Amino acid sequence: MAIVYSSLVYLGYILIFPGFLFCFVAGMLITGIDRKIVAKMQKRVGPPILQPMYDFFKLMGKETIIPAAANKTVFLAAPIVGLAAMVVIQLFIPVISTPILYGTADLIVILYLLLIPALAEIYGGSASGSPYAGVGLSREMVTIIACELPLVLIFLSVAKTVGNAMGTGLCFSLSDIAAYQAANGSLMLKASMIPAAIAMLLVIPGETGNHPFDAAEAETEICEGMLAEYSGAPLGIYKLTHAIKTFTLTALFVALFLGGIGTGIVLLDALIEFAICVVLTIIFISLVHAVTARLKIEQLFKYYWTAVSTIALISLVLAWFGM
Amino acid sequence: MFKNLITESTAKSPWLFHINSGSCNGCDIELVAVLTPRYDAERFGFKLAGSPRHADIVVVSGPLTQQSLPRTLRAISQVPEPRCIVTIGSCPQSGNVFKGSYSVMAPLSKYVHVDVAVAGCTPKPEAIMDGLVQATEILKEKRKAWLEAKKNGLKDGPKAETEQEVPAAEDVPASGEEVQQ
Ligand code: SF4
Repeated sequence: MAIVYSSLVYLGYILIFPGFLFCFVAGMLITGIDRKIVAKMQKRVGPPILQPMYDFFKLMGKETIIPAAANKTVFLAAPIVGLAAMVVIQLFIPVISTPILYGTADLIVILYLLLIPALAEIYGGSASGSPYAGVGLSREMVTIIACELPLVLIFLSVAKTVGNAMGTGLCFSLSDIAAYQAANGSLMLKASMIPAAIAMLLVIPGETGNHPFDAAEAETEICEGMLAEYSGAPLGIYKLTHAIKTFTLTALFVALFLGGIGTGIVLLDALIEFAICVVLTIIFISLVHAVTARLKIEQLFKYYWTAVSTIALISLVLAWFGM
Repeated sequence: MFKNLITESTAKSPWLFHINSGSCNGCDIELVAVLTPRYDAERFGFKLAGSPRHADIVVVSGPLTQQSLPRTLRAISQVPEPRCIVTIGSCPQSGNVFKGSYSVMAPLSKYVHVDVAVAGCTPKPEAIMDGLVQATEILKEKRKAWLEAKKNGLKDGPKAETEQEVPAAEDVPASGEEVQQ
């Protein structure tokens, strides 16, 4: 009986909160708000906030064309794998201070899971046999490598700070990080962590492939790169994965740097978390989108490996010396 | 429940794919005017798609030169159902000032079913917008027809239908007299 009950609970976690349904609504709303804000900044009326939902449902009803040159299985399985990985990450991220799934090295799991949607897109794109996808996936790989170094440095500096306080060396467990912040206040308030937080905010638009870091999906240039051959439901799933990714990364920022501000009531915390995510998205994704032009892929790489990595490295050095 | 939601969304999120089949660029500029801040088509959900596979509405401008006609038709056939074809300008309807040239193959309605034809040289952005909004309604009808056909066991019924459909007489303007006074 207990097994049935606990598996039902886990099913609820995966499908409803904080899994699929919650991610779906939150991701779609955040993307909608992002589009609306960008439109407002360009003095336009802009689409309704529910526009990404309309897009998603419309794509569900469209015909799915499979190109003759494509590998059918990989082509259709890739979007689903990507979406599944994206939803699983959400289970590991504590809702401000209440973790759902936890282990001793969540951060490392998240680092790998964050790669899967991008890799799935690369597999799907290369299976579609389109030359546009070929260009797109080579750029996507560069983007992944560019964002990975600062992200690892940020995770290490957080792990070192919390690990120092706990006396365990490095602490990669998000539930311990949440507990530490609940006891000592948010990491954002620590002087040594401020550079890491800034670096994380700069990494978010690159990871989600937003303007100006969307060289891999430049729709005016290479027809959305890896998605060029996709149509119908698989395309909709990719769009959904992108939307959720924006929410996941901002939520990860909240978990890493703004923990310990929760009320302890999970639903209320989820609302607060969502509100903070919206604010972060507006400032660090929409604003940047509206005022910049697309970077070339080598500029993107240089930017992440020099400027952003240096900022993250400052934090790591400070944390290493126990400041 | 989801079926209705999808049908409603079909009219609310039309993505455009623009084909220039030898246009003088006048119509293309007006289409760009529709998409940019002054007329802002995005408030109806319109978005310019880069690949024909993402599109719902195919916008064709230009008098269909011999070279571009097969490519235009090929690009149109890559658009997944339900799809709509909108021509802007008099060129794809009649050939306009280019009529009579050895290399001009207009009208487009000789080759595919055209859903909305916006006339004018160049049509005003308001007219283009009106045509596009009409096309969204047609998209919705097509989706309903497709659901109906599926219910009746026709697997890809409406698809075969649109390909065979002969354009109605009023869709094809009588050899563009209004231009060649
Ligand atoms: S209709 Fe007029 S403006 Fe448009 S492509 Fe033809 S000639 Fe140019």
